[in-house]
Amino acid sequence: MGLAVHGLVKRFGAKTALAGVDLEVNDGEVLAVLGPSGCGKSTMLRVIAGLESPDAGTVQWGGVDITSLPTHERGFGLMFQGYALFPHRTVGENVGFGLKMQGVERHEVEVRVADALSWVGLDGFARRHIEGLSGGEQQRVALARTLAPEPRLVMLDEPLGALDRRLRDRLVDEVAELLRARNATALYVTHDHDEADTVSDRVALMRSGVIAQVGTLAELRSAPADDWVADFVR
Amino acid sequence: MWNSATQFRWRLAVGPLVFVAALFLYPLARLLVLAFDDGGGFAEVLSNPRIRSSLWFTLWQATASTILTVMAALPLTWVISRFRFRGRDLVRALVTVPFVLPTVVVGVAFAASGMSGSVGGILAAHVFYNLAVVVRTVGGVWSRLDPALDQAARTLGASPIRAFRTTTLPLLAPAVAAASAIVFLFSFTSFGVVLIVGGLRHRTLEVEIYQQAITFLDLPAAGALAVLQLIGVVAVMTVYSRYQERRAVRFRMVAETDALIPVRTGRERVLVTTIVVATLAALLAPLWALVRRSFEGGLGGWRFLGDPGRIAIDPMAAMSSSLRIAAATTVIAVVVGGMASVVIAAGSDRLSRGFDVLIMLPLGTSAVTIGLGFLVSLGSLRTSFWMIPLAHALVAIPFVVRASTPTLRSIRSELREAAAVLGAPPSRVWREIDLPIVARAMAVGAGFAAAVSLGEFGATSFIARPETLTLPTMIFRLLGRPGAVTYSAAMASAVILMVTTAALILAVDRLRSNEVGSF
Repeated sequence: MGLAVHGLVKRFGAKTALAGVDLEVNDGEVLAVLGPSGCGKSTMLRVIAGLESPDAGTVQWGGVDITSLPTHERGFGLMFQGYALFPHRTVGENVGFGLKMQGVERHEVEVRVADALSWVGLDGFARRHIEGLSGGEQQRVALARTLAPEPRLVMLDEPLGALDRRLRDRLVDEVAELLRARNATALYVTHDHDEADTVSDRVALMRSGVIAQVGTLAELRSAPADDWVADFVR
Repeated sequence: MWNSATQFRWRLAVGPLVFVAALFLYPLARLLVLAFDDGGGFAEVLSNPRIRSSLWFTLWQATASTILTVMAALPLTWVISRFRFRGRDLVRALVTVPFVLPTVVVGVAFAASGMSGSVGGILAAHVFYNLAVVVRTVGGVWSRLDPALDQAARTLGASPIRAFRTTTLPLLAPAVAAASAIVFLFSFTSFGVVLIVGGLRHRTLEVEIYQQAITFLDLPAAGALAVLQLIGVVAVMTVYSRYQERRAVRFRMVAETDALIPVRTGRERVLVTTIVVATLAALLAPLWALVRRSFEGGLGGWRFLGDPGRIAIDPMAAMSSSLRIAAATTVIAVVVGGMASVVIAAGSDRLSRGFDVLIMLPLGTSAVTIGLGFLVSLGSLRTSFWMIPLAHALVAIPFVVRASTPTLRSIRSELREAAAVLGAPPSRVWREIDLPIVARAMAVGAGFAAAVSLGEFGATSFIARPETLTLPTMIFRLLGRPGAVTYSAAMASAVILMVTTAALILAVDRLRSNEVGSF
């Protein structure tokens, strides 16, 4: 049993971002969350990460309620849309941050940082500064930083959203491969069908704060729950 | 919703809160009691023609000082914010020097320039002192304003002047207002300059409070005046913060290096040179007069400092106690101010705004009120060494907060969130993310705190005892004594104080200019 989310509601003033989200992610499964912008995908990730507290509903991990557990105790990973790399730290210090928080010994941190950097094809980047990196390199550092502490749940918020088309096509396979190789349990938020299809085992379609349907993209196409789903996955 | 970050913030708020409550709010409450105790205290004070003329003078000179300062500062602000030229950093640093000079030094310098007793001297000293507030506050925004905005307006058909009026000026307005509010408050509560240049003929409320308390020993009248002054300060700050809230447009700042253009045409060169030279010359003249006067009649004044003879003033002891007090003040101000800026920067809610006002209050309230408050409330504690650094810290903390809060604010909340997701508890987030980014700003704040302490005069003049005279209070004592040698000795001490603070501030400025502008 991996992640289970029940009846999640989140309002910001008069605006309802999440209107009762139910979702399950099995152990070792990569679930893509697909939906138009503004449908509440990012808010859902933030609630699951504990960065926002829900107005109603529960978040469970392995059958244990963690709805009120502070963010830093959840052991989840979240890759931010804008990467949120620490500008005052080197690439290596960014990637090693989570390990340091776990109290991993310094020497081992170095080894594991080097490993994580090689997963994303940035060998030898540890001493570089964040400032000088290209967009694609920043994306890879952010990915390595998220994966390095081996979080029990990996959440990626439009991880390729800020890159241009060509780079995106190249990187999406790499990310898919990386997640599978690590047997990661993952939530992958995107608004791009192809990306969702390439990366995930199943797709959850999200529309104005609720999950409309869950299944493989082929299933959604052959048996859409309603007209909106049929239209969106066409 | 109370998450653990909010809890951490509230816990952190306790320190500064206790500090301000014990050393500022409690003494203030005692002052209030004192002011109202007498019954007709306020009516009596307000019907006194001497006090009414002080009140009127305080208001109009503060207004005039503000307008004159903004006008005098704008040309140089423009030059510094728009042009890249050799010596630009030095000019920027030099302009800051007067602001950090102790008010006693400024007062003595204008007295040495032959402006004793004149209103013009007071206004000139206020412009001299506050110029940097405008140059730095407005220039800080202007020099990092994306030049593409102005250029966009130009491509849309606006003339250079129109582009300035419609694009640049509205974006600068909050900074101009901020600078004006600060200059007004400083002039409104001006003490050392007015006491020394005004020669008791022209009195601000501050000087009036001092005289009522120390010369006439009329504490209730002094208390009532302090309360009146506080009402004025709070009114100005309220209007100002309302305005800032309404005007807060967030816009992208670019690195200074991207916004500056080199001086190209001959006309530009003449303009830039004239403005820089004229401003610097006007700033240097009084300081030069001060140095010259310290040597009047040879080295007598300087020799006096080492060997005062049979006089109850020991210059060496005053210098050493000034240094010890400055060190203690810096430690207190950085710790308490650091905590306060985290609380303020972490949000834009009531706690944040309330705290901001609370921390600024002692600075706005004026040093004299703080001194008077200590005098009436702390009883025998007053004789402890720690009273002076604590009083100084009240004034220095706003500088630490002002130096570090913008940097803290500029840290995107995403960075803290990323750290939390990666397993950092709130206190660790502060240590790993906020602290390193803000450390340099803190060092700047520490430098300012030390400078504030070295030059503090208003509060110290109420609490310093003859055996704990600081450099500024000693200078004032020396000025009050007859004789050419003691007068020259006062000038010489002012030179020492000036050089020390200027060196400190130039060091701090080096730290600031190395600052990374990318986050």
